[in-house]
Amino acid sequence: MRRFSRRRFAGLLAGAAAALLALSACSAPAPTHPGLTSWGQVTAAAKGQTVRLWMYGGDEQGNAYVDKTLIPAAAKVGVTLQRVPVADTKDALNRVLTEIQAGTKDGSVDLVWVNGDNFGTGKQAGAWLCGWTSLLPNMSLTNPTDPLLTDDFGTPVQGCEAPWSKAQFTIAYNAATVTDPPHTLAGLLDWAQQHPGRFTYPAPPDFTGSAFTREVLDSVSGGYKNVPLRFDQKAFGRLTPALYGRLKALAPSLWRKGQTYPKTSTELNALYAGGQVDFTMTYGPAELTKLVADGTYPAATKVLTLQEGSLGNASFLAIPATSGHQAGAMVVANLALSPQQQAAKADPRTWGQFTVLDTARLDTAERDLFARLPQSPVVPDFNVLSKNANPELAAAWVPALDDAWRRLVLAGQ
Amino acid sequence: MALTLPPDVGVPLSWPSQPGNGLRRSRGLGRALRVLLALALALWFILPLVPLALWAFADRWSFPAVLPQAWGWDGVRTALAQGAVPAFGHSLLLGLLVSAFATPLGVLAARALAYHRVPFAPAVSVMLFAPLALPAFVAALGLNVVLLRLHVPAFAGVVLLLMVYALPYTSYTMRVAYGAHDLAIEEEARLLGASPWQLMWRVQLPLLAPALARAAFLAFLVGWSDYVITLLVGGGTIVTVPLLVAAAAAGTGNDATVALLSAAAVLPPLVLLLGLGRFGRRPNGGRP
Repeated sequence: MRRFSRRRFAGLLAGAAAALLALSACSAPAPTHPGLTSWGQVTAAAKGQTVRLWMYGGDEQGNAYVDKTLIPAAAKVGVTLQRVPVADTKDALNRVLTEIQAGTKDGSVDLVWVNGDNFGTGKQAGAWLCGWTSLLPNMSLTNPTDPLLTDDFGTPVQGCEAPWSKAQFTIAYNAATVTDPPHTLAGLLDWAQQHPGRFTYPAPPDFTGSAFTREVLDSVSGGYKNVPLRFDQKAFGRLTPALYGRLKALAPSLWRKGQTYPKTSTELNALYAGGQVDFTMTYGPAELTKLVADGTYPAATKVLTLQEGSLGNASFLAIPATSGHQAGAMVVANLALSPQQQAAKADPRTWGQFTVLDTARLDTAERDLFARLPQSPVVPDFNVLSKNANPELAAAWVPALDDAWRRLVLAGQ
Repeated sequence: MALTLPPDVGVPLSWPSQPGNGLRRSRGLGRALRVLLALALALWFILPLVPLALWAFADRWSFPAVLPQAWGWDGVRTALAQGAVPAFGHSLLLGLLVSAFATPLGVLAARALAYHRVPFAPAVSVMLFAPLALPAFVAALGLNVVLLRLHVPAFAGVVLLLMVYALPYTSYTMRVAYGAHDLAIEEEARLLGASPWQLMWRVQLPLLAPALARAAFLAFLVGWSDYVITLLVGGGTIVTVPLLVAAAAAGTGNDATVALLSAAAVLPPLVLLLGLGRFGRRPNGGRP
């Protein structure tokens, strides 16, 4: 037995080493189409399938929407939907990457709530099934030229993921303490300097903090139109000195004199909830309504509407190339795009996620579903919030900006 | 040594604990310091759990209130809605299975290292310890490829990997126990005519019971608290308590849910630990 255990260990370690080597020399196979060419074939194949949807589980309203609304609706069309909560979408991608390495055809991840660099990284590794969204009947209700839906942080979507929700980068403030709210991002930075210790932002590469630095980049460059979406080193060298100069000048006025930053947006939210700062920021304004209602955030929380607009993005549902239940996953993605589900999801009492549908393409009854939704007491209408929506920069900008922030702002105090 | 008979065979074997007791009994200032230290230690362990217990039943607790402003069952309701009950079942099953496999393996490895000539014994010891040095994330990512290629069912893969992670704890605990274990007692039992079964049940097991209980408890904790292997190797087929806690903790405003799940997650190991205190003692009240 002792020898057995020794050999087992040696085997396991060797296996680990081999797997790691294989992983580092990753060259994933191109995604294959499952041979489903019509929607009729898809729905027929989907009957009785079990679809595992991996999604970030930190949003209780999102979990509740899926559990109570989407799962029963999927059951009605013959698909068993299961939600797998993860702390980070990267966990789902990592699982898919190991499945690709192993050549699995019946993987455990059938659908992932994804966008941004997780989508881009997965696409590069061939993790996603592509070219399937055109099969979905409900795709015709979206605007095919909507830049938020054709590019995901600069990565062309190309039918590798179906749109699910839109989001807008939102800055919220406590109107009880901020009596003179600024109306531009430059004004916000000035406000922060006039009120030392009452503002801060999460340290990049936190998703939200990183988005904030991109907002500042747009602002100091004189508007998003002056920042090329595609990354190039020349533009980076030309535009970013102003960005980091501004952030460095701001730092001494930040919370704890800018000597430390909240590591995550969750930490910033906690500071805001505790009244230690007067502003917080989120790429998911849907959560604000509930956080104010349950007393986590101050009752006087308001959304700051910026004249120059703010960054907008969309989030998607992607099907891994290794999924064994791709037809079922397509049926769920189509269902999630239906006006009924999109309207239910947009209800601030349910989740409050903005729809990806183009209202001009809906019939009157469907449009009515959205018109009847109650207004959130905190978050303005999407039309207001997304006015002058700024497109997201290509994903290649993000690590370059984050890296320079760490060198110039965090370390260069 | 092996042939020496106990002084009085009629008296059950016991450790020479009685004469030592008087020496260890502290008096006066020493005693007061000892009690104080014990109290401080207890406080040190209990204090972090107080906000957890408060948060678990706080429907509203905003800064700067010292105590929650509204008490209620929101945390319980949300935790149940997230699937807390099946998750506890899964966690319990996983912990027990990992413990059931890793403990006997640890015993065998430790006994071999303690009493038999193991070729390359130092290397074997290092190997047994190696999983501690290997981050679980790396193991999960690397070995999942192997497990998938071999078509190992997801749940079996999780138990297998966690068992390997529990082995350092069980083999080390048992190695220490065997170090203090006097083989002469076993030899005496054999000389007195005990069969191998009797030897195991009546001599070895009672003598090693405290160490066995400790090893099993540590192995249980490995299965009970794992996130990354359960998720990546399990492929979402088993949602355990750590998965729920991690997912909830990643968001804002979930403090009550996270607190309730975490506090509840402390209970089963605590019950086991108390059980350890009761059943994990050496026979005849002999305290080493």
